[in-house]
Amino acid sequence: MSRPYHLLAIETSCDETSVAVVRDGSDVLSNVVSSQIDTHRRFGGVVPEIASRKHVESITVILEEAIREAGVTLEEIDAVAVTEGPGLVGALLVGVVAAKSLALALNVPLIGTHHIAGHIYANRLIGTIEYPALALVVSGGHTELVLLREEGRFEIVGRTRDDAVGEAYDKVARALSLPYPGGPHIDRLAHEADEEIELPRAWLEPDSYDFSFSGLKSAVLAEINRANMKGEPIRAKALARGFQMSVIDVVTTKALRAAAEFGVRQLLLCGGVAANRGLRERLAAMCAEAGLPLLVPPLRLCTDNAAMIAAAADLKWRRGEFTPLDMKAEPQLSLEAWSVGI
Amino acid sequence: MNETMGFGRDKEADGSASGAGGSGPTALAFDTSSSVLAAAITRGGHVADSSQSFTERNHSVRVVPDLQELLRRNGLQARDVDFIAVGQGPGSYTGVRIAVTAAKTLAWTWGKPLLGVSSLEAMAFGAWRKESGEREPDGDVWFVPLVDARRGQVYTARFVASGGEWRRAEEDGIRLLADWLASLNREAKERSDRTAPAAIVFTGELASLEGKWDPETASVCGVPFRTRPMALEAGAVGLLAEQRYMRGERDDVHGFVPNYTQLTEAEVNLAKSRTESAT
Ligand SMILES: [Zn+2]
Repeated sequence: MSRPYHLLAIETSCDETSVAVVRDGSDVLSNVVSSQIDTHRRFGGVVPEIASRKHVESITVILEEAIREAGVTLEEIDAVAVTEGPGLVGALLVGVVAAKSLALALNVPLIGTHHIAGHIYANRLIGTIEYPALALVVSGGHTELVLLREEGRFEIVGRTRDDAVGEAYDKVARALSLPYPGGPHIDRLAHEADEEIELPRAWLEPDSYDFSFSGLKSAVLAEINRANMKGEPIRAKALARGFQMSVIDVVTTKALRAAAEFGVRQLLLCGGVAANRGLRERLAAMCAEAGLPLLVPPLRLCTDNAAMIAAAADLKWRRGEFTPLDMKAEPQLSLEAWSVGI
Repeated sequence: MNETMGFGRDKEADGSASGAGGSGPTALAFDTSSSVLAAAITRGGHVADSSQSFTERNHSVRVVPDLQELLRRNGLQARDVDFIAVGQGPGSYTGVRIAVTAAKTLAWTWGKPLLGVSSLEAMAFGAWRKESGEREPDGDVWFVPLVDARRGQVYTARFVASGGEWRRAEEDGIRLLADWLASLNREAKERSDRTAPAAIVFTGELASLEGKWDPETASVCGVPFRTRPMALEAGAVGLLAEQRYMRGERDDVHGFVPNYTQLTEAEVNLAKSRTESAT
């Protein structure tokens, strides 16, 4: 048996400072996440400059915690992985510079990693991925259907043409005067509702796997305006339910249709919006009916964290695909181009 | 790419260089607060080696490779470095974060002391080192670093060199350039005694201020002034940090942050809206 190997991963693409140590690609020894959400809440959303400042404040503290919790020494770290993109450029930069400095200081390879590949390969930390697989990525910044014909090869078959799902949730929540972040509040209201204001579904072209949520968001705003004009109370629960039903309907239907077309063996649900109860329940029911295995990581691995970055970086570690120390933070990094063997 | 790289052994301005072979604590020093990415190795009061990269607002790409190259060509390993010296700003927000993040990470990983110095002081101190090789200062000379902070503002401070001694006279801050020049003028005028400056030296990235100021306005009091454009040199960062190191000072690696000199716009706006709603 060969000696175990340890990847240390850093994730700072948005408002979470996270460092993880993962052994042999999937054994999470530590996964420390420092969320800035309390700081950003009073601004009603993430303020990029403040996010960057907070990352600098916490980076070495979180590194130290992750190493201590993992029970390894720095000398046992075999490579340093970091989110290269996509994300907020100023926030990414802190993680990228820290990772490069760490790689230099420890004299180990650097692995620049794609954030969405991280969300997808979070599933590797809880089970085995069978290929071909289809990933439904839903988060504050992303809504994508990604086909994996084989390990580490990413093919985007559908993407949002305007807002990401999480973005739409936040905007609708703001219109309903719910606190930031709005997703969990909409999910809760939708469950509490005993009626539904039916809202349109954006199916786009019949064969398209793309998404669009801006029309739905406008429909919510129009309904709020209409109620305000007539002096009627806003039926927040019924609206939340109508909005959530429309989103879930479109997202799950397209995912199942793509899964059938590409003959995949698994559906992977990933990203922060995977925490949405309504979405999880509906998808689980539909997959059960279709006889399609569904993998959903636990919540702590769905939201942004560094263990998922280590899981994706492991694809490149095993193939010896490393990144030079003049790596740049890439806020627009392409997932497909990040595939292994390119 | 708009990139030029100047690597070279530093000529000692005071002519007493002992170079890389000198004794005393060895520092790995760097600064990314301005348009130049500056790195150096200093040892026992001397600059052993230094580099400057002009990578327009892209210091995050070169910072680690430049440090690696500097260590490599001086045959230095982690164990040979006694402390990390870094320019803490003020300057470009993104810029200062790069050096500070690298410095914190290196210091933490290697378990080395971290010593931050003002990037403005390093700029002015570098200018003074150059000056002292050329002319003997007669009385107090004021060194005023200027770094463009946009909207008529500069990051600036004031230092005094006097009889071979160097000291800070005003804190780092962001100031309206016009107000700052007027206040320097007032300050100089009020000192009619022997503490009046013999000269004022404006230094820093003066090219980016071209057309935005008139140094003449600072000379109405009759004090001769001169301008000495200077790209920041990390040797000055290392030498200033070494003075702190020798005094036994250490910065807390975890708590170390850039000196931004001001809150973010979002925080200012939030405070403003709270004051307004309170009244
Ligand atoms: Zn994410």
